[in-house]
Order: sequence, then structure tokens, then C-alpha cells
Amino acid sequence: MNPLKGTYLSRRLSSFYLSVSARHSRCNSTSATPPADGHLPSVASSEILRTKREAGLRTPGIKWADEDSSAPTRIIVGGRETRKMNTYQAIRDAMSIALAKDESTVVFGEDVAFGGVFRCTMGLAEEFGKERVFNTPLTEQGIAGFGIGLALMGHTAIAEIQFADYILPAFDQIVNEAAKIRYRSGGGYNAGGLTIRTPTMSVGHGALYHSQSPEGFFMGASGLKVVIPRSPIQAKGLLLSSIRDPNPVIFMEPKILYRSAVEQVPIDDYELPLGEAEVLIPGSDLTLLTWGTPVYHCETALHLLQSPPPELQPVIPASLRSANIELIDLRSILPWDVKTVAESVSRTGRLVIVHEAGMTAGVGAEISAEIQKRCFLKLNAPVRRVTGWDLPVGLQYEKFNIPDAIRILDAVVETLAY
Amino acid sequence: MIRTELTRSTPAFSRAFSRSYTSRRDLLPTTQSPIITKLDFFNSVGGKDNPIPTYRLIDGVGKPLQGAQLPDIDKDYARKLYEHMQLLPTLDNVLYNVQRQGKISFYMTAYGEEATIIGSAAALEKDDEVLGQYREMGVLLWRGFTIDNIMAQVFGNENDTSGKGRQMPVHFGSPEHHFHTISSPLATQIPQAAGVAYALRRMPNRRSQNIAACYFGEGAASEGDFHAGFMLASTIPSPVLYIARNNGFAISTPSSEQYNGDGIASRGPGYGIDTIRVDGNDVLAVLTAVREARRRCLEQGRAVLVESMSYRVGHHSTSDDSFAYRARSEVEDKKRIDNPITRFRLFMESQGWWDADAETELKARLKADVMKAFKKADSLKRPELGQLFTDVYGGEEPWNIKEQRQELVGLLKKYGQIWEPWRKELGKFRNTGQDLLNPQGR
Repeated sequence: MNPLKGTYLSRRLSSFYLSVSARHSRCNSTSATPPADGHLPSVASSEILRTKREAGLRTPGIKWADEDSSAPTRIIVGGRETRKMNTYQAIRDAMSIALAKDESTVVFGEDVAFGGVFRCTMGLAEEFGKERVFNTPLTEQGIAGFGIGLALMGHTAIAEIQFADYILPAFDQIVNEAAKIRYRSGGGYNAGGLTIRTPTMSVGHGALYHSQSPEGFFMGASGLKVVIPRSPIQAKGLLLSSIRDPNPVIFMEPKILYRSAVEQVPIDDYELPLGEAEVLIPGSDLTLLTWGTPVYHCETALHLLQSPPPELQPVIPASLRSANIELIDLRSILPWDVKTVAESVSRTGRLVIVHEAGMTAGVGAEISAEIQKRCFLKLNAPVRRVTGWDLPVGLQYEKFNIPDAIRILDAVVETLAY
Repeated sequence: MIRTELTRSTPAFSRAFSRSYTSRRDLLPTTQSPIITKLDFFNSVGGKDNPIPTYRLIDGVGKPLQGAQLPDIDKDYARKLYEHMQLLPTLDNVLYNVQRQGKISFYMTAYGEEATIIGSAAALEKDDEVLGQYREMGVLLWRGFTIDNIMAQVFGNENDTSGKGRQMPVHFGSPEHHFHTISSPLATQIPQAAGVAYALRRMPNRRSQNIAACYFGEGAASEGDFHAGFMLASTIPSPVLYIARNNGFAISTPSSEQYNGDGIASRGPGYGIDTIRVDGNDVLAVLTAVREARRRCLEQGRAVLVESMSYRVGHHSTSDDSFAYRARSEVEDKKRIDNPITRFRLFMESQGWWDADAETELKARLKADVMKAFKKADSLKRPELGQLFTDVYGGEEPWNIKEQRQELVGLLKKYGQIWEPWRKELGKFRNTGQDLLNPQGR
């Protein structure tokens, strides 16, 4: 057998070049000149990211989960600290807290012992021991099944699937087993202690199997929760909530944000609520709904709408440039926050949904149908979806496949002008 | 044990596995593999023309084999084993026929595997965690799960403690009896058992006390989850005892179409786990082998495999007519020539522990117990209709489930009494759906 054809080796090679390129992008984020990657500057300079201590401590919905949580919030905020972290460091920090506070917690997956191919588990094996942070053989169905077994005994299992693209061998264990155990056993058993972390979404050159956004496949698996953070603060708070939630959770981490998104992350133990969307920019003329990496493409699109560069001015009607767009980060795919989205669309009368996965039967389809039902009389334009095309992700074609800022801008303009 | 025997008898095997032999040879760097110059392929762990032997203690007429070391059991214990072995076909006969009459929707018998199931159940501690496939009802019975519990689950009535009437019949479960709820997807329990066992290792009060015991058929062993589970339980040392019930068939597929190797046992050494093949129709051999397997499992903190050879005498399930793919005479021959229950009865008779009167009394008593439980289960209502919507999530119930419950309530109010299929069905539930329609007033 030609070893180069083996999945193992090709996967390792891919993760190597991913990490090399990610290092490259980190350099870019501190440099003044914009990098070749058009979408990265928006992450580097995003106003959504909380880069000041005070802003980090005032993250909406933050719930301190340590001994001091009974004291008045105002005083606590004054006394708390933050540290500059990127997303992988925030995720590592969350797992470190989970391991320290709950003796039954274990972290496992392919290559997690040396720190993980994305460094999310750096130093955890040294700190908590090989019995609690360990490698598994290369078997995704096994990793999920093993985690379910731990959860059946009431333990906390944090499993890693190296790329969301490789979660499908575990689909049976996740959908037929983890999601259904509580129901089928009449509440006697459950897999609530299981959290499956997995890197997701495009990375610039991940092609077919290092780019996927499979959240839609899990959206119909009642009994499961699906969560996708947009930033380091969100990643830490939502991951700690996911780990402690009494249900199995799939936690999808946008891998391009591992190094590029940096915030002042509270160092204490805190949680952010599952099942709740967050309004990032309030507005009154159109609701722009998204999650994960495209949050930053949306932000860029809104800047372009407001002050288009000269070459775009002919296609952006001046009358639309002052439109107030409401930007919402959905955060939880299952259960999703219908209340926040429907309330927003009822006010704005227009909805554009952005996600990286393909359009057909994607998460956007579910949301469109439900919002159409609830907001029928309030809608002033058809619900618009800006998504990846219904295609596999071809390597050299990524820029024309993902829903980037220009495609979002175009959909926003057309929906406003409808 | 097998390993030492094989090492002695087969040079090919010893080349690969014997440490003393390899120490005198050149090894491939970073391996235990000795270097040879002779081109030599192999496809059997036992070496050429040397299949894995089967461990047996008593023959087809209950006579101890020469050299057999029988387990130390007394009359009472033997009777307990026998009564449980007889209880299985008693329940199977009644429930199989009840399904044929349409009173329950589905059933699966364990005919022919009574010794495998009861022998292994007896070898486990009652708080060992069991993860089964679906033909292991006897393990629950051995642990004190009552005939009423069995009936309640297969009828899906309001007393069903396994799953509130949600799962198909024979999908039992009971945390109290350390028996994880059965699910239909095959082999999914195999990697789960590795996780359960790893958790046991990490619990100070159960470490070195308990194992996970995981049952599956030889057909399920073809699933990817078998491979995953065995690999996990050997590389991440976990005290899990895998019990393969090799009964010759996966529905219609004979084992000859399931694998080309030497059964399931030959795979154990490939994963580096201690393995034994046992005569699954000999309850004393199963008991002894599983006891020793359990001991090794605890001692090594690592997986052990027992392959129990038997024959599926019954149809696969009530949805299957096995005479479509095998001769009736073949089945009748098996029942007559190698019957696990008869074999053990003859052994007990030879010990003076059993006689025809005891047999008559036992059969009558078991039949009466089963019929009594059956009549009770048949008279009970289903659980409350509202249980359709509960237990999907722990913690707060998501909006979609809340809303969909309310939608059904609206439909029931509108159509519950005028749409005949629903009106008739509502009558079968405890409180006839009032728990949904009128949650405060019931």
C-alpha cells in the first residue's frame, strides 16, 4: 500500500500545514498591512471582539461559576482579572477548569496528549496526568462510543474529533445512541456528561475534508445540543456550559479563529447560556443572522454597506447605506433561539441568514421555515440565505464558495431594496 | 492459557509471540518481531491446520470429560442455575405465542443459548455493569429482575421500568441491576463498554471490584464498533469482559458468510487481549471460563474475550421464519443431540441432585409464574400519554418540544373523540390522555 494514500498520513500532513498557516495568520494579525487573505483583517480588527479587560468582564449573559458568584456582580467585576487569549487558549483554559473542578472529567481523542494538532490541550496531560488526558486509537466511532460509556457512569467526558469532517463515522453513536439514551431508558440512563469538541468551518485551504460545517446534520437529532462559539470569551463560557449541561453536546470550534481571534478572557470560571442567541449590533431595518466564522464576514459587509470603497459605490445605492442592520450570533444550533430571532425579524421585517454549509437542508432552511411561519405578516422581503453552494469544498475555489463579505453585502442590499 | 498451549504446539505462532524465543533473535527495531529469511505467510493464530480449541467440561449426556476440572458448586447452586435455564424457554414459549396472537408487537427467544447466558450471568458479580445486545434477558433474571418487570417491558405497560413503553419488546434495562438499556443498533455497546469499564477503573469504590461485561453476537462482531471497542479496551486499559455469542446465524446469514477466519476468538490476540473459546452448550464450562476471564479482566485491568459456541435454535425473531434458510431437520437435530438444558439436567441427575418429580414440579411452577405475570401485564394500561414527550432532554425542556406537545393537545381536543383511531387508542393509556388534556385537573 502506498502510505501517502493512507488517511492517517494525509490527515497528519494537513494538520501540519494548517498549523503552519495559522502561525502565519497570527503574524498578520499584529501587523499593520492587510494580509492577502481578504477576510482576516476583519477578525484582527473586529469591534465585536472584546479586547479590553472591562469589556471582557462585561460580556452579556456571563454567569460566574466560582465561589464568589453570590456576591454582587458590580463588586466582582471590579476585582476580577482577564488575560489576553486566542480561541485555542480559551478552550484550553475551559478544559483546565473543568478538569480541576471535577475529578471525573477526562479529555481524550486523537493526538490530544501532546497538546492536540490545534494546541487546545497543551500541557493538560502534564498537569492532570495521563489517566485523565490521553490519546485514543484512530477511531471516531470508538471515541464517541467510549465517551458515551463514561457518561453512562455519570462521568464527564470531553472527547475531541480532530476535524468536524471526520465526525461522520461517529454519526451512529451520536444520533442513535447519545441523543436517545435518556429517552429510551425512561430517564434511567443518560449520556449528559458527554461533550464532543470538534474544529469546523473553512480555513482557507482545507478543501473537502478540513472545511466542513456539519451542524445541519445534527440539527434534527433531538436529545442533542449543538453549540458554535465565535470568539475566545464565547468559546470558554459556552464550552464550560456545554461540559456541565445535562445533555450530550457537540461543540464546534471555528478553526480559523483558533489563533486569529483574540480577546481579554476572564480568567475565572464562568458560563454563557446555551440555547440563547446574542444580538451583537442592534438595528431596525434588517436582521442578519449567522454563527461562527461568518460573524466577521457579516461585520465586514456592514462596514462596506455603510462606507463602500469607490469601486463598490456604483452598486450600493446611497439610500441604503444608512440602513440599521441588526447582527445576531445564533451561538446554539440546537436548540436554537427562536424567540430572539423572531422578535428581531418582527421588528426589522427582513432576514438574511449566513452559514458556510451548503444551502439545501442546511440550518438556514429550518430557520427560514420557522420564521416564515411566525413572522409571515411582518416580512417585507423573502428570507434570504447566503451559504456555501451545494458542492463539496474544492481546494482552489474556496473564495468563490464561501459566503464572504461581498456575497453577504449583495444579499443585504437586495433584501433591503426588495 | 490458550496462548501458552499454542506457543508449545505451533512453531509459527511462537515465532511471532514467544518472548524467550525472540530474545535469541534479531528483532525489527522498535518491535517485538523477530527477523526471518524464509518467506512464510500465515492466516491463523494457532498456526497451520490448528484451529482454536473449545473448552468443555461435560459431554452431551452430562458426563464429565476425562481430565475435566469441574467448578465447585453444590446442589442448591446447581438447581438455581437449572431453574434459570428452564425459566428462559418457559418465558420464550409464552411470549412467542403471545406475539403470534398479536398481544405484543415483537419478541426474540433465546432457545439454545440458555447455558451461555445463565452460565455467564452466574460468573459475574451482581454489580458488574452489563451491556447487552438483546438476547441476554437471562442475565437480568439471574440478578432478580422479576418476571413482572419482563412482562411490563414487552407489553410496554404503565409498570415498564425499562423505558416507559418507548422501546420495542426485549429492550430491557435497569440501573438498579447494573444492566444498561438495550438498544437496537448492533455493536454500539461494544465501545461504550470500554468507556464504562474505564469509568469503573477511575471510581475508588469500584476499582478492582467491578468489570463491565459486554455481550454481542458473531454477526454484530462484523460491525466497525467491534473493532473500535476492542482496540480501545486494549490500548486504554479497561476491565471489560467481551462475551461473543456465536450461535451460527445473524438472521439468515450463516457464520460462514460472516467471516473467513477462525470465528471471533481468533481476533482477540490480534488486539492483544486474552481469549478463550468455550462450549456454549455446557453451562459448567461457560461458568468456569467466564469466572476465570473475569478474574483476569480485573487483575490486568484490560479486556478479555470469551467466545461461546452455540446454535440459535429459535427463529431470529418473531419477524423471521428461519426455515426459509435452514432445514427444519437441522434445527431438530441440534435440539435433540446437543441441548444445553438436557445436558445439565443429565449431569444433575448423575449427581443425585435432580429427578423426574423435581422436573415436573419445576416446569409446572415456572409455567404458573409466567402465566400469572402475563395475565397481570395484559390487564394493565399503557403509561400516561404525556410520557411521549418527556426525557428527551435533561434540564429545561426546549421550546420546540413544549410547543409540539401543545400542538398535540390542541389536536386531541379537536379530534380525540371524533377520530376513531385516536379515540380507540386513547383508551389504552393510563388516564386516557387526561394528563395532557387537563394537566391540573387529573
